[in-house]
Amino acid sequence: MNAIIEIKNLTKKYGDFTAVDHVNYTIEEGEIFGLLGPNGAGKTTTILMLLGLIPPTEGTAIVNGADIIEKPLEARRTVGLLPEGAGFYENLNARQNLSFYAELAEVPTSVAKERIEKLIDMVGLGTKRDVKVGAYSRGMKQRLGIAQSLVRDPKILILDEPTQGIDPEGTRDFRELIRMLSKEKGMTIIFTTHVLYEVNKLCDRVAIMKNGTIAGIGTITELRKQVNATEGEDFEDVFLRYQGVV
Amino acid sequence: MAGLFTMAKKEFLDIIGEKKFLLIFATLLIVVLVSTFEGGLSYSSSQSSTVTTVTGNSTRPGDGGGGTFEAFGSAQSLSRSLSSMITNFSLVGGVLAIAISFDTINNERQKGSLKTLLSYPIYRDTIVYGKYLGGLIAVALVATITFLAGIGVFVSVTGLALTMDTVIRLLIFFGVSLIYMAIFLAVGLLLSIVLPLPSTSLLASMIVWLSSIQLIPNVGYAIAQILYPVRFSLANGRPSFATQAGFTTIRAIISGLSPSTAYENIVNSILTTSQLQFNSGSPTVISINVTQAIATSLPSLIYFVGLLIAIFAAAYVIFTRQEIR
Repeated sequence: MNAIIEIKNLTKKYGDFTAVDHVNYTIEEGEIFGLLGPNGAGKTTTILMLLGLIPPTEGTAIVNGADIIEKPLEARRTVGLLPEGAGFYENLNARQNLSFYAELAEVPTSVAKERIEKLIDMVGLGTKRDVKVGAYSRGMKQRLGIAQSLVRDPKILILDEPTQGIDPEGTRDFRELIRMLSKEKGMTIIFTTHVLYEVNKLCDRVAIMKNGTIAGIGTITELRKQVNATEGEDFEDVFLRYQGVV
Repeated sequence: MAGLFTMAKKEFLDIIGEKKFLLIFATLLIVVLVSTFEGGLSYSSSQSSTVTTVTGNSTRPGDGGGGTFEAFGSAQSLSRSLSSMITNFSLVGGVLAIAISFDTINNERQKGSLKTLLSYPIYRDTIVYGKYLGGLIAVALVATITFLAGIGVFVSVTGLALTMDTVIRLLIFFGVSLIYMAIFLAVGLLLSIVLPLPSTSLLASMIVWLSSIQLIPNVGYAIAQILYPVRFSLANGRPSFATQAGFTTIRAIISGLSPSTAYENIVNSILTTSQLQFNSGSPTVISINVTQAIATSLPSLIYFVGLLIAIFAAAYVIFTRQEIR
């Protein structure tokens, strides 16, 4: 496999506080990569730097061959993002919201039309496609957020806390969708979460962040080995060991 | 610029779909229609009274008999008769522009849609230009409808013949009104970028608007009064108030800094077609053509456009350098 994202010495400082501290790793094409860590560990800051939304203090990253500092637009072109707590234009319905994003991504109108209808059905909003988003529940908005992140048919999908606010059925649907996108489309998927069960079920590899640094990286089995986890210890125990809690 | 018109179209649809927009638009339309109707009635009566007083003839406007005096009648009355429309436009038009733009950016940030937007392959310029353009189209729509309706009422009440000169003056009036609303649109945009919460930027925008319509003109008056106090005297047992030359100048300069006062000054100059001068005690009417009217209001016009560019430039620079967390 080829590296689709290369993170090189990436650092972000806010005054004396270092949010991301000289981080180095690569993400392979087609893998499902989990970014784990407590609040304030630097997960979202890393993602925002990868998309050029905040400039790094030091270091850089190469996203699908484009340097995030030198060619931010190129870097973004192949990435779909579902940010944490994604919002929409509440006076517009699902279809209008997705059409707007498709136009921004320069998806040809004929392609966009069909894709939008498919995506709305895929995320389970088929009966609500013409309802203004202002009337949606949090879970429905999150489903629409997933559809939005896929409207430009990205090579890389970045999901920040994607199952936040979604009910158990929706969470299960989401997992199936991620597997399908990875298997059938070969999409590279990066997601941050607090739900360790999801990571265990879905991820090919995981990076555990602590205070802006990478405390551990690898497959679940490799991570367990690195901290000499016993048979009786589950992934939660492993995660807490990396955090230095146990 | 890729995405500019997509952004502007979305913004425009978003704005016109909002209840607050329709509410303020309806208010503006009603006050303008009422004020132009009243203005039209007063114009009609002033025409006959002016002609009677000055000429002593039975000449009526439009019959071609009293050219000079007719000019006097239509000259001052046009700007005077439309004065309440101008005032209402400066009040409600400013509010409408602010209502459209006060939460342009911070609402996106609060809702979480700004990060999504910025994750697309577009420059930040596109967002700020597109949003402003969308707002401007909405404002232009309001201004066009309100103007056509207002002037339509005025013309039907007064029976005023729309000469080329009048049409040019009204078009300039329309253009200046659009710039005036664009200034407040830019103020709202700037404050929505600088301030994190829509409630705070709304309050700040309203303070700017209030300063424009009330505070700055009052400050101008107060400073002029301090520097050049109005002199009170008793002449032949009668009280007399004399203003010093500097008073008017200082007051005009400071008040003119307010976009609302500058707007009213410019529009009044543009709509004034003649002036009455007293030479050796006898009144003489001097007609003012469009070029002269523009020349009179040129300093205010330059300030007006400069202010718009400065506010928008500040909004643009701050937004393009902001970190989106």
